Amino acid sequence: MAFTTELERDSALNLSQAAVGCEFQIRQLDGPSCKQLREIGFCEEMRVRKVSNGRNLICAVCGTRLALSHKLAEQVFVTAV
Amino acid sequence: MSTGENNALPKVALVGHPNVGKTTLFNQLTGERRKVGNYAGVTVEKVSATIFTPHGHQMELVDLPGCYSLTPESPDERVTRDVLLGDFAEEARPDLIINVVDAASLERHLPLTLQLIELGLPVLVALNQVDRAEAAGLRLNPQILSDELGVPVVACQATSGKGVVQLKQALRFPLPPAAERRWKGSAALEHAITDLAKKLEALGMERPEVHALQLLGETDYRVKLQPKLPREAQIAAREAAAACIKENLVPEDEIIKLRTQTIRRAITAATHTMGDEGETLSDRIDRAALHPIGGWFLFAAIMFAIFWSIFRFAEIPMGWVEAGVGYAKDWVGGLLPEGDLNSLLTDGIIEGVGAVLIFLPQILLLFLLIGLLEGSGYMSRATFLMDKVMAQVGLSGKSFLPLLSGYACAIPAVMATRTINSNKQRLLTILVLPWQSCTARLPVYAILIPLLIPSVLGQTTMMFFIYFLGTGTALGVAWLLSKRIGVGEAAPHFLLELPPYRLPDFSYVFRHVLDRGLAFLKKAGSLILGIVILLWALGTYPKAPSGEEQDQFNYSAMGRIGHFIEPVVKPLGWDARLGTATLASFAAREVFVSQVAVSFAVEENEDDEEAFRAQIRTAMTESKKPDGSPAYPPLTVFSVLIFYIYALQCLPTTAVVQRETKSWKWALAQLAGMSLFAYLAALIVYQGGSLLGF
Repeated sequence: MAFTTELERDSALNLSQAAVGCEFQIRQLDGPSCKQLREIGFCEEMRVRKVSNGRNLICAVCGTRLALSHKLAEQVFVTAV
Repeated sequence: MSTGENNALPKVALVGHPNVGKTTLFNQLTGERRKVGNYAGVTVEKVSATIFTPHGHQMELVDLPGCYSLTPESPDERVTRDVLLGDFAEEARPDLIINVVDAASLERHLPLTLQLIELGLPVLVALNQVDRAEAAGLRLNPQILSDELGVPVVACQATSGKGVVQLKQALRFPLPPAAERRWKGSAALEHAITDLAKKLEALGMERPEVHALQLLGETDYRVKLQPKLPREAQIAAREAAAACIKENLVPEDEIIKLRTQTIRRAITAATHTMGDEGETLSDRIDRAALHPIGGWFLFAAIMFAIFWSIFRFAEIPMGWVEAGVGYAKDWVGGLLPEGDLNSLLTDGIIEGVGAVLIFLPQILLLFLLIGLLEGSGYMSRATFLMDKVMAQVGLSGKSFLPLLSGYACAIPAVMATRTINSNKQRLLTILVLPWQSCTARLPVYAILIPLLIPSVLGQTTMMFFIYFLGTGTALGVAWLLSKRIGVGEAAPHFLLELPPYRLPDFSYVFRHVLDRGLAFLKKAGSLILGIVILLWALGTYPKAPSGEEQDQFNYSAMGRIGHFIEPVVKPLGWDARLGTATLASFAAREVFVSQVAVSFAVEENEDDEEAFRAQIRTAMTESKKPDGSPAYPPLTVFSVLIFYIYALQCLPTTAVVQRETKSWKWALAQLAGMSLFAYLAALIVYQGGSLLGF
């Protein structure tokens, strides 16, 4: 699952770019805030639905709504399901 | 059973994420017989109670602060980790952990469960919110989950008490055996853990294997300074991790991967989803509450309702307190002959205690309303909305709750900043917080505003102006200071759980309000009482030879201090009386009113507070300077008003700021900075106004 090349990482879709209302699977966490994200519930292979956009965006993970900043969302790489 | 300490009761700790229902379960298990204290050395509340198992054994149940993992950042969470690792010297390690998890959100909660199991303590999983999970279409088999995790699992619904009896049954003796780690790493990882454990054992550390796993599994724990951990242990762990990395094995990544696999396996085996959850009630409420425009209207309406009720409903109990104080004064005054003892008890002690008690209803009401907002889940939405505004001035959305509480009283508001996870943003919030106009300023405004504006509409507008000026300055200064403190670069990113809306746990909210009320009385009451006695003594001695009350002020120590400081306050347009009243109110603002009354020899009228204020106002209006001009023209009154909006005149606040920032430097800098700001603002108003011919 992990990115093998820089190019692969740069071209992957992150949660900040993802479309509202769609469901995704978390592919990888990559960035300085991985630990913080994992603790609150963003883990690899988990399903996540983007609920809203804005300065801080809202996601649904495991039936829980989580609000996070765009900077954090950029560290969550997802694939559409 | 092992009990940590000789003769101590077996200790059971409740551990889980914030908002998972730990406190509700605690109340269900204990019947709300609880003891609130503090962990030594940190301002983290410790809640515990003694319970009986169904077989009659006594146990101590401790509600540990909520945490998402055992690798925390905030002081609250650190306490949980250190207590569980047995590194908290003042607090024995628990004999059993009850891990409260949300059945509807197992994937998010089980990582903590696995970390707890790895601690080598007996663990009991309380699978809470089973009703919500079932409503969301999730079928759970606790027995399979128990087999997968290797620990007992009890399904329950804390809010309705369902499963609580079974949970108590599971606490029977002998306690379950210590849980065992559920995953096995690669040979290299297992070797690294065993090797490090041996080194830690040689260093004399207890539970070397548990510590070795924690140190290899968490970068911050082995790199950042840990007060409860020997430096040598961290050095050994860093060497062990470096050796692993050389072999292309990042220990923390490997451990996370193994835990994730274990959780996935357990969930697949123990749960079955009956279909999509669909849109929940919370989602529908959120569509309105978080709407880009509608959300703000709802937010404004809720805030308006809070303030309206604080000022409207609190008046009633405030009247009772006032009447009670008046009655106590008459009763005690009647028992004793006229003299110094009578004056000390009535004018000093009862008056002083009354000055604090009068604000209690407003503070309790604000705590109640904030508690209800938090308990219902709306407070997280308010935090989410306000983050946008707060970020403009360098603060976080989490600064909103403390700033809101600041309108009632800065003391609990400073304590409420603990939830802000950036130290710099927390400090910034504490520094500007006292500019939120608190309720203790209201009696001062009630005297001064009618002197400036006679019409009721004008007075109301003035009150709005005062609140706006205070909050505006707080946000403006926060913006300026944020650049200086360097908040921008260090601010952590916004990350917040929006819990589902639910009915608040009323018994918890009421208990919390009661605890806060008692703490307020104990802390603020004792200090203010001491200061009021001191002020009484300064105003009473030495006695004027004429025995006339009008001469007493000038003759007393207080009057002499007033004349001494007159040159300092003269540029503000004030005289010695205003100077001493302001000086005295540096201990607590509400002292201003009684101090002005004493200096004009106005007799307090317990039956009619407004008549008493009117008397003071008349005395001030009629007071003349030696040249015959009014002693308190509107510009002087306005300058006093500006001073009171800006000055930090509350010693309990300074004491709490010192305690929360653990720094006298910040507490005193805040006191000095705000006093200077207030002085300069009053100076500019008076001198500027005089130049313009007002």
